[in-house]
Amino acid sequence: MKVFLEQLLNGLTTGSFYALIALGYSMVYGVMKLINFAHGDLFTLGSYLGYTILVLGTAYTTSYLGLWGGMVVTMLIVATCLALVGTLLERIAYRPIYSSGRLPLVVSALGASIFLENSIMVIWGARPQAYISEVIPAKILNIAGLRISIIQIIILILSFILMSILYYVVQKTTFGAAIRACAIDRNTAALMGINIGTIIFFVFAVGPALGGMAGVLVGMYYRKITFIMGWNYGLKAFTATILGGIGNIPGAMLGGLLLGVLEMLGSVYISTAFKDVFVFLILILVLIFRPTGILGEKVAEKV
Amino acid sequence: MTTRDIINNIKQTVKTKQKWPIPVIITLFVFFPILINNSYIIDVAFFLGFYTLLGLSLNIVLGEVGLFDLGHMGFAAIGAYVTAILNTSFGISVVILLPVSAIAAGAFAYLVCSPVIHLRGDYLCIVTLGMGEIIRLTLVLNPFGITGGPNGVFGIDFPSIGTLFVVDNSIKFYYFIWIIVGFVVLALVRLQSSRIGRAWNCIREDEIAAESTGIDVRSYKLLAFVIGAALAGVAGNVYATKLMIVSPESFDFMESCLLFCIVLIGGMGSIPGIIIGAAAISLFPEIFRTFAQYRMLIFGAAMVLMMIFRPEGIWPRKRGAIELKSIMTKAGTENG
Amino acid sequence: MKKVNILIMITIVLLIGVISIPVVAADKLPVVIGLQGPITGAYAIEGEMAKQCVEIAASLINEKGGILDGRMIEIRVVDDACQPKAGALAAMKLISQKDVVAAIQTYGSSVTQPGADLYEKFKKINMAYGAGIVELTRKGYKYFFRMCSSVDKQGNFFANKVVPLFNAKKIAIMHDNQSFSAGLAEYTKIGLQSKIDAGEVEIVYYDAINPGESDFAVPLTKLRETNPDIIYFTGYFPEAALVVRQARNIGITCPFIGGDSAINSEFIKIAGLEMAKGCFMTQEPMPSELSYSKSKMFLEAYQAKYGEIPSSPWAVYAGDSLNVIAYAIDETGSTDSDVLVDYLKNKMNNFNGVTGPIGFDERGDRTGTLHTLYVVNDKGELEIYNP
Repeated sequence: MKVFLEQLLNGLTTGSFYALIALGYSMVYGVMKLINFAHGDLFTLGSYLGYTILVLGTAYTTSYLGLWGGMVVTMLIVATCLALVGTLLERIAYRPIYSSGRLPLVVSALGASIFLENSIMVIWGARPQAYISEVIPAKILNIAGLRISIIQIIILILSFILMSILYYVVQKTTFGAAIRACAIDRNTAALMGINIGTIIFFVFAVGPALGGMAGVLVGMYYRKITFIMGWNYGLKAFTATILGGIGNIPGAMLGGLLLGVLEMLGSVYISTAFKDVFVFLILILVLIFRPTGILGEKVAEKV
Repeated sequence: MTTRDIINNIKQTVKTKQKWPIPVIITLFVFFPILINNSYIIDVAFFLGFYTLLGLSLNIVLGEVGLFDLGHMGFAAIGAYVTAILNTSFGISVVILLPVSAIAAGAFAYLVCSPVIHLRGDYLCIVTLGMGEIIRLTLVLNPFGITGGPNGVFGIDFPSIGTLFVVDNSIKFYYFIWIIVGFVVLALVRLQSSRIGRAWNCIREDEIAAESTGIDVRSYKLLAFVIGAALAGVAGNVYATKLMIVSPESFDFMESCLLFCIVLIGGMGSIPGIIIGAAAISLFPEIFRTFAQYRMLIFGAAMVLMMIFRPEGIWPRKRGAIELKSIMTKAGTENG
Repeated sequence: MKKVNILIMITIVLLIGVISIPVVAADKLPVVIGLQGPITGAYAIEGEMAKQCVEIAASLINEKGGILDGRMIEIRVVDDACQPKAGALAAMKLISQKDVVAAIQTYGSSVTQPGADLYEKFKKINMAYGAGIVELTRKGYKYFFRMCSSVDKQGNFFANKVVPLFNAKKIAIMHDNQSFSAGLAEYTKIGLQSKIDAGEVEIVYYDAINPGESDFAVPLTKLRETNPDIIYFTGYFPEAALVVRQARNIGITCPFIGGDSAINSEFIKIAGLEMAKGCFMTQEPMPSELSYSKSKMFLEAYQAKYGEIPSSPWAVYAGDSLNVIAYAIDETGSTDSDVLVDYLKNKMNNFNGVTGPIGFDERGDRTGTLHTLYVVNDKGELEIYNP
C-alpha cells in the first residue's frame, strides 16, 4: 500500500507537468481551433530560460535572493517572457494564416515548432544542460514512512494553485465566460460584443506562460534538459488534452493528471517498456467510445 | 482494348490536365542518372522518388478526401516489415512481396480504421497519430521475436526477377522507384477524374452534403485509407530492399509530419505539387547541409513563410471549373 | 506566374543545389580514409572526440612521412547523427567517392549495421569503433572489422567477475530496448544462466526504460521493491545519469554498475558529483589507463592540441582503427580491399596500437580485449576499482 501511494505520487507529479502543458493546448484549441504544435517547444524554452537565469545567473539570483527567492523570481520572469513569446508567435505565424483554413495552420504550427526547437539548439547548444544542485532545494522528507522530496511537494502545490486560479477565472468570472463563449462559437461571440482580440491575447499569453513554468519545474525535478524534450512532453500533453476533452479547460487538467497516473499503472502492472503502447491504446479506446473526451460535451455539428 | 486504345486513353488523360511540358520532364527523369555520374546524388534522387510515392499515398487520404492522417508512416512500416520478415525468414522474393506488402498494409488499414473512421477531423488526427506510434512501439518491443526489436531486420535481398533483372545499384534503384511512381501517377490521375475521385472530393468539401446526395461516405473514406495504405506499403517494400535493413526509427512521428507537410506544401490533391513538395522536404536538408546548424532553422521558418504567402501550396490543384463552362453561362468560381 | 516558369525556376534552384554539393577532388595523391560518426545530434560529443582522435592519429603518421612512399593520409568525415537511416546515407556517400579506401565506422550498434551491410555489398573495408552487438560479426561479413569488444564478452565479464566481487545474489538488469543495450542485457542474462540454474543468483528485475524520457521514478520504485544487491544498467549516459539520481532519491542504496556507454563526463555533469561518485562501470581500458608505448605519444599529441586527454575509449579506438588501416596499407603496399582483408585477418601480427596489441580473428572481431571494473572517484574521474 505504501509503495502504491508513493507510485501514485510519482504519477501525479508527472501528471501535473502534463496538465500544465495540456492547459496551453486546450485553451488555444478551444478558442482558435488550432493545434499549436509549437507549444511543446515553448515549454522547452521555459526550462532553458529558467536554466539561464538560475544556473548561469546564479551570482545574481540565488546569492542575493536565496534559494526560494531565486525560484520565485525565475518563475515570474519565465512566465512573462513566455507570455511575450507566445503572443509574438501568434502574431507572426498564425494570424496571417487564419483566413487560409485549418490545414495551412497545421503546417505553420509544425514549421514554428521546428524553428523554435532549432533556435533553442543554436542558442544553448546541442548537448543536454543540467540544473545544478545549488539552486534546487534538495531535501527529502519522510512523512508517515513515505519518501517525498521537497521538489515534489512544490510541484504538486504550485500546479494545484495555478490550475485552481485558472479554473476559477474560466469557470467563475465574466471574462472566463467570454473565453468559453469563444470556444463554442467564435463568430457569434464576436457578434455578442466580446473582444476576440483580448481573448486571443489572453489565451496565447497564459498558455505558454503555464507551459514555461512547467518547464522550469521539470528542469528542477529531473535536472537534465535537452532541446528536443519538448517533443515528447508535447505529445503526451496533447494526448492528455484529448483524453480530457479538447477545448475544455478542467478537462485538460483532469486529462493530464489521469495520463500521469495511467502511465504509472501501465509501468507498474504491465511493463515499463509497454507503457506507451498502453497509454495510446487507452486513448484510442476513449476516442472510439467517447470521442469528445471525458469531460467534453457533444456539440452538434451545423449543417 | 487494343494498344492503340490504351495509348489514346493515356494521351487523353494527360492532355486534359494543365499544360506541362511532359516530354521534357520525362526526358529529364530518364536521362538524369546518365548525366550525373555520382552515386550519392542518384541515391538522393531515389529518396526523392520514395518520398514522392509516400506523398502520393498520403495525398489520397489527405488531399483528395481531406482526412487528417498523422500516422501514415505506420502503413509504410507495415509494408517494409512484412517484406523484411517474409524475405529473411522464408526467402520469398522481394518482387513477389511487393503486392503482398500492399495488401498487408491495406488490410491493416481496413481493420484498424473501421472503428474510427467516423471521427471528426481533429480526433481522427489524434487517433492516426496514436496508431502510428503504437505500430512503431510494437515494432521496437519485438513481439514473438519477429521484428528484431530496435535493431530491426537486416539482410533483405535486392529485387530480382530470375538472374537477369537484378536491381542492385543506385541507378537501377532510381529507375525502379521512378517507374513505380510513374504508374502510380497515371493511376491517380485516372482516379481523380473518376467517380470515386469525385466522390472523394465531394466528401472533402462538405461531408454532410455528400452523404445527402447518396454517397456512402464511410465506404469511400475507408477506401481512401486502404488505397493510401497499400501505396505506402509499396513504398515501404522498396525502402526495405534499398536499405537492406528496416528499423523502427525510420517510421516515427516526425516522418509522418514531414509527409503531411509534403502534401500541404506541394498543394493538396495536386500531383505535380506532391513531387515538388517531396523535393522540398527531402532535398532541402541535403542541399543546405553546408549550413549545418542553421539548416533546420531555415527549414522551419520556410514552412511558416510558405503558409503565410502561399497557403494553397507551390502547385495547387486546379479544380475542374473547365467542365462547368459548358453548363453554366457564367464561368463557375474556382476553389483555389 | 505561368506554370512553365515555375517549373523552370524550380529546376534552376535544384541545379544550383546539386552543383553546390562538393565534387570529389581530382587530386589522387593522398590516401583517403573515411570516418563516419555522430557529428551532430545527442551523441555529438562522441562523434567530435572520435574525429579529433582520428585526425591526431593521421597527423602523427603524416608527420613521419605518410605511407606508401610519401602519400599523406586524408580523412573524410561524414555525419550520421547517430541515426540508422542517416548512417546508410552517410555510408553511401563514402562508398560513392571512389578514392575512399576504407571507412572507420560509427558510434552505436544500430547505426553501424546498415553501414556494414552496404560496405559489404560494395566491398569496402569498414572498421567499427563503437558497436558492441554480437550479430555484426556473426553474419559472415568479409570486410567488417571490429576494434572494440562485443557485448557477449562484456556480459560474461559481468556475470563471472563482477557479480562475485559484490557477492550479489539478487541482480537487477535495466536496459533501454536499443540494439546495444538490449543485447548487452541479454548476454549478461545468458552469462548468468549457469549460476541461475545452480540457484546461486536470481535476476529480480529485467525491464527497459524508454530512451529520451526523463522520468524513471515509477520503474525505479518497482525496482526498489525487488530489493536487488546490485543494479546493472546497460543503456547510454543520458539516461544513466537520470537513473542514478532518481534511484538514490527514492532510497535505492545498492551499488550501481553501468555498461560501457553509461558513464562519461556528461554523466558526471548531469548526475552531479555527489551522486556520480561511487558508481561503477564495466569498461574496456579507458584512455587514462593506457600505458602502451604508443599510447603516451598519442595522448600527449592529443593533449597538446585539445588541452586534455580524450575521455572516451571509443574515440581512441577510432584513432587506432586509422593506425591499423594505415599500417596494413603500408605493409601490403596496396589499397585493394581483398588484399588488406587477407592481411588483417591472416597475416598481421605484432602490431601495437595505442590500445595495445591488435589482431583480428576470422570473423573480424578483435582478438583478446580485457574488460575491467571502473569506479568514479571523489574527483569525478574514472579509475580502476581496487577493493
